Amino acid sequence: MPPVADRRPHIAVVGSGIAGLRAADALLKREVDARIVVFGDEPHRTYNRPGLTKKRYPLSDALESTIAEDVRVKGAENDAVTWRLGTGVRSADLSGRTLRLSTGETFEYDALVIAAGVRPRTAFGDGGECALHTHRTLRGLGDARYVHQRLQASEKVTITGAGFVACELASLAKEYGCEVLMLEALRRGPFESLLGERLATALGRRLVQHGITFLTGDSARELLCAAEPSHAEPPPDRSLSDQSLSDRSLFIEAIGSVPNVEWLDGNGLDLSDGVRVDAYMRVSPWDNVFAAGDVARYPDPWTAGSLTRREFWKNAIDTGDLAGRSLASSLGYGSVTSPIGYFPSMSTEVLGLRIQIAGDPRASDAMEVVCGDPDEPEQGVLVAYLREGTAVGAAYLDKGARYNSAYIKLLRSLRER
Amino acid sequence: MKIFVDRVKCQNHGQCAISAPTNFELDDNGELRYQEAFDEENTGDIEDAADSCPLQAITLKS
Repeated sequence: MPPVADRRPHIAVVGSGIAGLRAADALLKREVDARIVVFGDEPHRTYNRPGLTKKRYPLSDALESTIAEDVRVKGAENDAVTWRLGTGVRSADLSGRTLRLSTGETFEYDALVIAAGVRPRTAFGDGGECALHTHRTLRGLGDARYVHQRLQASEKVTITGAGFVACELASLAKEYGCEVLMLEALRRGPFESLLGERLATALGRRLVQHGITFLTGDSARELLCAAEPSHAEPPPDRSLSDQSLSDRSLFIEAIGSVPNVEWLDGNGLDLSDGVRVDAYMRVSPWDNVFAAGDVARYPDPWTAGSLTRREFWKNAIDTGDLAGRSLASSLGYGSVTSPIGYFPSMSTEVLGLRIQIAGDPRASDAMEVVCGDPDEPEQGVLVAYLREGTAVGAAYLDKGARYNSAYIKLLRSLRER
Repeated sequence: MKIFVDRVKCQNHGQCAISAPTNFELDDNGELRYQEAFDEENTGDIEDAADSCPLQAITLKS
């Protein structure tokens, strides 16, 4: 007897990060009768990416699997889900409903979730070397394994940038006992585009107090150096060259990211900054294509008429879940009644100081101190960011949590405005 | 269902206290305090708190 053809719809999820996982989970939760295939460039199942720069690991021959185990995120454990790990998607033909894979195969889908994420932006190229440095960026688990291994040697490390990844890396390198040089050519201090000059400058001073050499402006620019394009081809396996690199110190670029959208070229989509979606994560004009996570650019629920793209853990969860529910609904499983309502709220810890930021401080035209002294963030400082007199964002910096309830109260008024 | 926080993973970022102040709070020293048991009507907020944790230290166990 010939095998019965699988008539279930095929759902392709491009991206094995948390947004892709949550989209798959939402489909399973609605008991969508489909075959779900998740494609991921990395060989690892979904993990907690923010966790890669949060703590030290002991010396180990199996560092990558130690980290992988520590940051592993469970979910989508179901026979209906096939994980194609280590398999990238090179191009897509949305009208032909076909993906071309890195293996040379093609995959025909009935519905598609784009959760391809972002990659680090680089000014000097990733993976090269110059006379003094090994140049790297940090995004994936393999990168994290390499960086932790180098930091464990307590050597000198240079970090460019002063955002979340840069500051967490600097903090981590200090904990590992490294000599840390931070270069920020454009801003005066950490998180300046979010927190404003005064707090950024105070945070910059704090880096210096903790023994980090923090240079800005021209003195930073003078020390920026480029990897030489001597390697026509990158080494096939980075680990092969690990042992021979100790004569060059580590130079990490952490200056932002670029959405992974090139594989969608040629389909007439708006790819100017990620993938343009509507408030239900649908990619117009395709009724079977959805996008979620760092790559999705959606109507900002907090600022009418503008679009937003967010690179935060909880944003990936909320948009991934919504994309999965919208897809399920398009196949006749349930309905989706409320659009995306993600309220930006993020936190980090840099050298023992907790930094919480919420709302949209970038959109503000003034800062108002609610409690504490912006020049002494260790004693706790709570600020509101205003646009035309109305609060649009807030930040709270503290070693303890004296003003935490005031911060939470402020956030509630922001969300309800 | 009960809340369980992995104290080794927790770094007191306080995102849970924003999502579900009924069950999570930071004390004056910035250390997390939480109540294991929660009312069914707060389930959405508690799940939100677990998702919000940048260290993924919060799980719900029956």
